[in-house]
Amino acid sequence: MSEPARSVPRPLPVAGPGGAGARSAPPGIGRADGARAHGIAAGARHGILARLSRRAGDLLLSDYFVLYLSLAYVLVLLPFLPTLSNPANLSNVLSNMWPLLVVAVGQTFVLTIAGIDLSQGSVIGLASVVGGALLAVGGSGAVLENAPLWGTVLTEEGGPLAGVPYGLLVGIVAMLVTGAIIGLINGVSVAYLNMPPFMVTLVGLIGIGAFAIWLTQSENIRPLPDSFVELGKGDLVSVYLGAQDEPRIPRRQIYSFVTYPMVIALLIAIGAHLLLSRTVFGRYVYAIGANRRAAEISGVPVKRIIVAVFIISAVCAAAGSILYSARLEAGRPTLGEGAFLLDVVGAVVIGGTSLFGGKGKIIWTVWGVLFFVLLSNTLNLMNLSSFHIDMVKGGVILAAAMLDVLRTRLMRERAI
Amino acid sequence: MTALLRFDDLSKSFFGVSAVDGVTLDVPEYGVLGLIGENGAGKSTLMNMVGGVVEPSGGRMLWRGEPYAPRDAAEASARGVAFIHQELNLFFNLTVAENLFVDGFPKRFGLIDRGAIRRRAAELMEALDLDVSPDALIEDLSAGERQLVEIAKALHRDADLIIFDEPTTSLTPRETVRLFEVIGRLKAQGKTIIYISHVLGDVAALCTHIAVLRDGTLVEAAPAEAFTIPRMIHAMIGRELSGLFPARTARPAEETVFSVAALSQPGVIEDVSFEIKGGEILGLFGLMGSGRSELARILFGLDSHQGGAIAIDGRPLSGGARERIAAGLAFVTEDRRAEGLMMDAPIADNLSLVSIARFGRTPFAMIDTEAVEADTAAIADQVRLKAGNIRRQPAKSLSGGNQQKVVIGKWLMQNPRVFILDEPTRGVDVGAKYEIYVLADRLAAAGGAVLFISSEIEELMGVCDRILVMSQGEIVGGFDAPPFEQSAILSMAFRQAA
Amino acid sequence: MGDLLARLLLKNATALIFAGVVLLFYAQAPHFLSVENFANIVKQSSFIGISAVGISFVLLTRGIDLSVGSVMYLGPLIAGFAMRDLGIGVAGGLVTAAIAGIAMGALNALFIVRFNIAPFIVTLATLFFFRGAGTWMTSSRQFDFDRSLLDFGLSSVAGVPVPVVFFVVFVVLAHIVLSRTTFGRQIYAVGADPEVARKAGVRVEFVKARVYMISSGCAAVAGFVLIAQIGRLDVAFGEGREFDVIAAAVLGGVSLFGGIGSALGAAVGALLIQTVKTGLVFTTVNLYLQPIVLAGVIFAAVLIDSLRVIRLRATRKRSIRPLTR
Repeated sequence: MSEPARSVPRPLPVAGPGGAGARSAPPGIGRADGARAHGIAAGARHGILARLSRRAGDLLLSDYFVLYLSLAYVLVLLPFLPTLSNPANLSNVLSNMWPLLVVAVGQTFVLTIAGIDLSQGSVIGLASVVGGALLAVGGSGAVLENAPLWGTVLTEEGGPLAGVPYGLLVGIVAMLVTGAIIGLINGVSVAYLNMPPFMVTLVGLIGIGAFAIWLTQSENIRPLPDSFVELGKGDLVSVYLGAQDEPRIPRRQIYSFVTYPMVIALLIAIGAHLLLSRTVFGRYVYAIGANRRAAEISGVPVKRIIVAVFIISAVCAAAGSILYSARLEAGRPTLGEGAFLLDVVGAVVIGGTSLFGGKGKIIWTVWGVLFFVLLSNTLNLMNLSSFHIDMVKGGVILAAAMLDVLRTRLMRERAI
Repeated sequence: MTALLRFDDLSKSFFGVSAVDGVTLDVPEYGVLGLIGENGAGKSTLMNMVGGVVEPSGGRMLWRGEPYAPRDAAEASARGVAFIHQELNLFFNLTVAENLFVDGFPKRFGLIDRGAIRRRAAELMEALDLDVSPDALIEDLSAGERQLVEIAKALHRDADLIIFDEPTTSLTPRETVRLFEVIGRLKAQGKTIIYISHVLGDVAALCTHIAVLRDGTLVEAAPAEAFTIPRMIHAMIGRELSGLFPARTARPAEETVFSVAALSQPGVIEDVSFEIKGGEILGLFGLMGSGRSELARILFGLDSHQGGAIAIDGRPLSGGARERIAAGLAFVTEDRRAEGLMMDAPIADNLSLVSIARFGRTPFAMIDTEAVEADTAAIADQVRLKAGNIRRQPAKSLSGGNQQKVVIGKWLMQNPRVFILDEPTRGVDVGAKYEIYVLADRLAAAGGAVLFISSEIEELMGVCDRILVMSQGEIVGGFDAPPFEQSAILSMAFRQAA
Repeated sequence: MGDLLARLLLKNATALIFAGVVLLFYAQAPHFLSVENFANIVKQSSFIGISAVGISFVLLTRGIDLSVGSVMYLGPLIAGFAMRDLGIGVAGGLVTAAIAGIAMGALNALFIVRFNIAPFIVTLATLFFFRGAGTWMTSSRQFDFDRSLLDFGLSSVAGVPVPVVFFVVFVVLAHIVLSRTTFGRQIYAVGADPEVARKAGVRVEFVKARVYMISSGCAAVAGFVLIAQIGRLDVAFGEGREFDVIAAAVLGGVSLFGGIGSALGAAVGALLIQTVKTGLVFTTVNLYLQPIVLAGVIFAAVLIDSLRVIRLRATRKRSIRPLTR
């Protein structure tokens, strides 16, 4: 073209007549214009239908949509799966939620810059091995004799940090640093070498996973010190729901409520929420996802931020690895293998963080994780095999991706 | 002389703003119609209607007397219209012959008849006097050769009407000469041609008829003999300027703020030097493809340069955009949508993007939300942004003019020393243009240096202290003080025409 | 000069890596360089090769297909059920596998083309979905095929083993389709620039939908051909193979950024992958170490691809003024 399109000013949004009586919409967002929500109900342009479709759109775009979805899911399934509401089961759902949340928080950052990190599962495996090898308080030559770690790092007496003062801390830092190094490699490959994120992290998933397995020759490392195990299992507050007059309460009737993993996960989630929503760094993350070229021209250190985001993702995976390894009481190279990836990506995407980038919130991820954990839990209660569970999850991811397309379209339509 | 194509009171408006307004014009059969006008005069919109890309909102077109209303590009192509765009529509990874046939190959035994496409391609190459193998990949061809392949495509489809949109910008003089020979031959073969160009000399030499557009209306159309270059220029201009521009409030100071010395990058710009004083607005006039935007990108550190130096207040600039922003440089790009704004993000987030680091408080660079809110609100006021809640309303909900104010505003938050404005009034209505001129004046009044890049001469004349003219990547001359003469500037920009 | 050298290196990366790999293994284990060994490598690479040729169609359009490993499982499984319950014989089984594969590709295409969802997320989901469907059909048990399949799989045509025959036929067919049909050339056009392709009258959605069907169809046939040599299908069959397949194509010069590559290249890539695998066995490298080496090789291939594309983009930039030399 030899010239730009001539002046094409967009009309400012005008609140439609239907909007006046509806709930007070923020000015200018165009919510009041119900006719635009035809992504939900095509053709529903007037009266009640329009209002309903607008409400449906509001719900879909709400921060709490997936929380409502989870609650609805529980309510629908409860008549068929009464065990779902058992205190023991609820406690179990909660305990499954925290480690996944930690990992999903990291993935949220990556998706927000329109990337993806498929390598988190392998980071969990490798960090678990590293932690296990350093912290183990004993070891069995019979199991590990072929492992490269045996005799070099690990012996019958355990790892080098066994019994060392502050050894636990050092071990944990080592696990996190393992994650950071992998994140650094991923980030540099994506930001500076222009390699596609899904391919870089797919290579990481396979290569790093294989490395972790090679280190122990696919065996688990145990035993781990109690102080470490406590991180995965320790209670702060437990709940007893039985009769008050029992002199002694059987252990199995006490349900964990506030646990170390809960505290750790919530601290990480809150920290991540603050980082993403309240700091300069967070603004840069959103800017890169929203419009990378504009961000570059506006002086955002795009490449450095991308590297940092991949580091965050991998460090979160390593932190998740601490919780998983502690709960399992072992360093296990295959910890994040296979369908774990589905849980993470699925939870974040269904939560509402967009695959297109520029849109993501930690609170959404919290609900997404809740939903996914409930999903896994109910599928387990139905006695489905792991393959079938994966199948359902695959379907749910597709549904989530379609929801993402729908939500994105809805947002755009409402904005104009 | 019969008309191959007739525009009958043809109009097109976008969102109520008319781009083409009641054009009635004959495209004479077997002729070469030169279509000229300033940027935004409506040439592209007019041609897009012929090409089936844009639907007219009023009037009609007649093709050999029959109503002609193509629904899409394919239908226009089937009718016999070939549109050779400035960006060529070729596939770099296919051969010359394959590019001709990509929408349908001749087959033999169910497979592509390579012999046939090669022969056909060779034939066309020969007709165009192009010495390129039909099996050569497009990526291995020069810009001129690619252009000729596009023409070969038009010949291959046996198009009756071939539209050239600024075909010579990336051609060497020799390639240009050859293109003109080819166009002459096409004419002799009975093709009808519409030739759009800013190189008026070419238009005068090549065309049998010339039509001049201005502000979407046809100003003049006549056989080429009736036109001289000054008359073309006169016809293209001719708007009353008074009242469209604010009075300047600042006088340039003595000290130089921004200096560029002997900047060069092979294939892009050559030996560009200028200085801007504090309080001064320097205009840079250049037509599409003159290298003005590329110069701006180099100044801002987005593209590299091989020779020369850039300095603010005598301190040399280096590094990328980030370093230059820190040194006091600001850049409003010509492509607001792709490079200026985060369209889905709230206005306030756009406003604070450049300067957000300033609001970081220890620890962890937590943003001082109240300060950001206060500052973005103040800036929104300062640029007289017409918006609702800037913290919730996304940038894309704004009109073009208000979007541009957001872009300017986000730089203002940084208090830059030097402002590069690249086509800041593109796609902006008249009222908002005025406000952008006021902003440019205020930037200068605050002691800054402003580089105002534009392809609209009037606005440069209205707001600038000095004007430089760029053509083919070089500064070809300048005008030191108002009053500026429009035709002199255009003549200089068209220096290749002479 | 350095520029020219870099271009040459990038252009012939596969050949160079191939030579390097062979030399490396030769140095470690001299008997690696033998005719029987290479015949064996060709035979073993046919499985990955057939699927790599198929996925090249997808990669050429800038897409990706992560579901091939599961299609390799589900396609032959459906064929197995049909052979057992309908008695359609080996040829019928082969056709059934291919059709089942194409149908799975159509499902991928539905989400990618119709609903406009990123290919990697769609095929990541169907990767788990297809395998889940397969284990549902078998109740997570191994599926045993009729002896006739094994007879077919272990036979040879004029001294050439059946898998190699399939490999060659698929490579030749794919090569012809890609280089000698309108559809094939339009695949390249879509990969170069989907928008320009649309303007040039190419039915982009149609082209995209078909490449996913081809990829899945090839994967299912590849799985069937390998199953024919084993005689049974366990639940982990094909798991993680998408990685080998993508790696083979990329190593063979098929760009992840679309528009560049060929069926022959993908076939060479498959040979290269198998050479590395066989070589690792020859040099008795720890079993668990092998995927790491492969990951390294693939990383290098993707890196080379990225560098090549950065270069290509730089040369495609429009110039304002003629370059004076």
